[in-house]
Amino acid sequence: MSSYTETCKQRNPLGRRNYLYLTLVMAITDFKIKYDNSVLGYFWSLLKPLLIFGTLYLVFSVFVRWDVENYKLYLLLGIILWNFLAEVTLNSMILLEGKASILKKIYFPRWIIVIASSLTSLLTLLLNIGVFFIFFVFSGAHFRTSALLLAVYLVELYVLVVGVALLLCALYPKFRDIHHIWEVFVQLGFWATPIIYPILIVPEKYHTLIFLNPVARIIQGCREALIGPGGEFLGLTNHIIIISVATCLFVVGLGMFNKLSRSFAEDL
Amino acid sequence: MIALEGVNKIFRLPHDRKTTLRQRFVGLLQRQTYEELYALRDINLKVDNGEFLGIIGKNGAGKSTLLKLMARVLEPTSGTVSVNGTIAPFLELGVGFQGELTVKDNIFLYGALLGMSRQEIEEKYDWIIDFSGLERFVDAKLKNLSSGMQVRLGFSITVSVESLILLVDEVLAVGDIDFQQKCYDSFESFKKNGRTILFVSHDLNAIERFCDRAILLEKGEIKGQGEPDVVIAQYQENVELTKKVHT
Repeated sequence: MSSYTETCKQRNPLGRRNYLYLTLVMAITDFKIKYDNSVLGYFWSLLKPLLIFGTLYLVFSVFVRWDVENYKLYLLLGIILWNFLAEVTLNSMILLEGKASILKKIYFPRWIIVIASSLTSLLTLLLNIGVFFIFFVFSGAHFRTSALLLAVYLVELYVLVVGVALLLCALYPKFRDIHHIWEVFVQLGFWATPIIYPILIVPEKYHTLIFLNPVARIIQGCREALIGPGGEFLGLTNHIIIISVATCLFVVGLGMFNKLSRSFAEDL
Repeated sequence: MIALEGVNKIFRLPHDRKTTLRQRFVGLLQRQTYEELYALRDINLKVDNGEFLGIIGKNGAGKSTLLKLMARVLEPTSGTVSVNGTIAPFLELGVGFQGELTVKDNIFLYGALLGMSRQEIEEKYDWIIDFSGLERFVDAKLKNLSSGMQVRLGFSITVSVESLILLVDEVLAVGDIDFQQKCYDSFESFKKNGRTILFVSHDLNAIERFCDRAILLEKGEIKGQGEPDVVIAQYQENVELTKKVHT
């Protein structure tokens, strides 16, 4: 039995509002550290998905040809969303290592580290989506009212990804190689999700399997909302499935994080 | 006010520490052996508001662990730690700064970590710069500062927090004489304002000069407490005794 009691209101050195400020300062710090040292600075974060896009587009529209309307947009959107997932989840572990000296000195709620780094990536995601819309306009695609659903999908994606990031970050100090395992997993997931290939080329019997992955559902939904044609992934059922999975992951992630983060100062 | 009741802190030091899944799978075949280290054993301690408490003892006696428990960085293995009032901790050498950021950015980050709001940091900003004596380096990257300067900056930010309790662990040794004097002056004004200070140091003169009370830690246990000069004498006696045993 052990406990740490806070008898006085003032005990908590950080008021709620200051948590918010701390989160913002940390997000800005991560952002500065990440981009200050590279020559291209912030443009890297925009260029990275574009370079991946360029390569894959070359391969899959010049050498191999999929019969997909607006394949360019289809591919770019998938890459941008997957990139967000990869960045947030992998960063949650790397950043923890960098914060070890602070964790050993000052108490603050540990989840702030994960949230702050996810905000940095969220900003990148939004800017990337801005770039996507430039492509969108130039490709002559029509704007649909269903495009507004994109916001809903992004919220779902954010909750899901932060849940996974919390879980990974919590486990990292005790199982360091989870970082390598997860890297491989992200690679596998990239190919197991219909990002570069259209879902239509996958035999029908595997569809259930592919859409067990909630991220595949989100990406597919975003495409149907923005590029079309509208289909089952715009429906309420899809949202219910995504939201349930995302909430579960988030609750489990946060629970594990709260439990394991208490010993971060010892394990790091 | 700080109260510790029956606090134990055990560090489990595996002989062969497993920090990866691979090691754990391989390790299933072997038995894990631990060294159980009692960093603190059955600590009962009460520190009143406005008290200036000195903590002395040899390396590894549990001084830093004690402060870390109070700062909530570590959790006790058993027992309760209750703290009434805000805490500003300044623990361990090597401050948790971001070397790639400027001094100015670091002040805002560190201040926020200590629980200050943006407005508070802005109000204290000039004072911090002045106290740390780093006017010329505001826009320099922190990694280019000497370790002494970094400690000065960290200490200045910590002191600027309007907390009821200040935890200071061994850091002043790094500062130069001028800065040490400044720190001791600030301790005096702290005392006048009725703030509580817990001070770990090997500088026995400073302990005797500033502290109202001192405790002596030995192998995780409180071996003596009371008037600083008495406790210091006890500490020195113990050291003499062990010396004799060895020779």
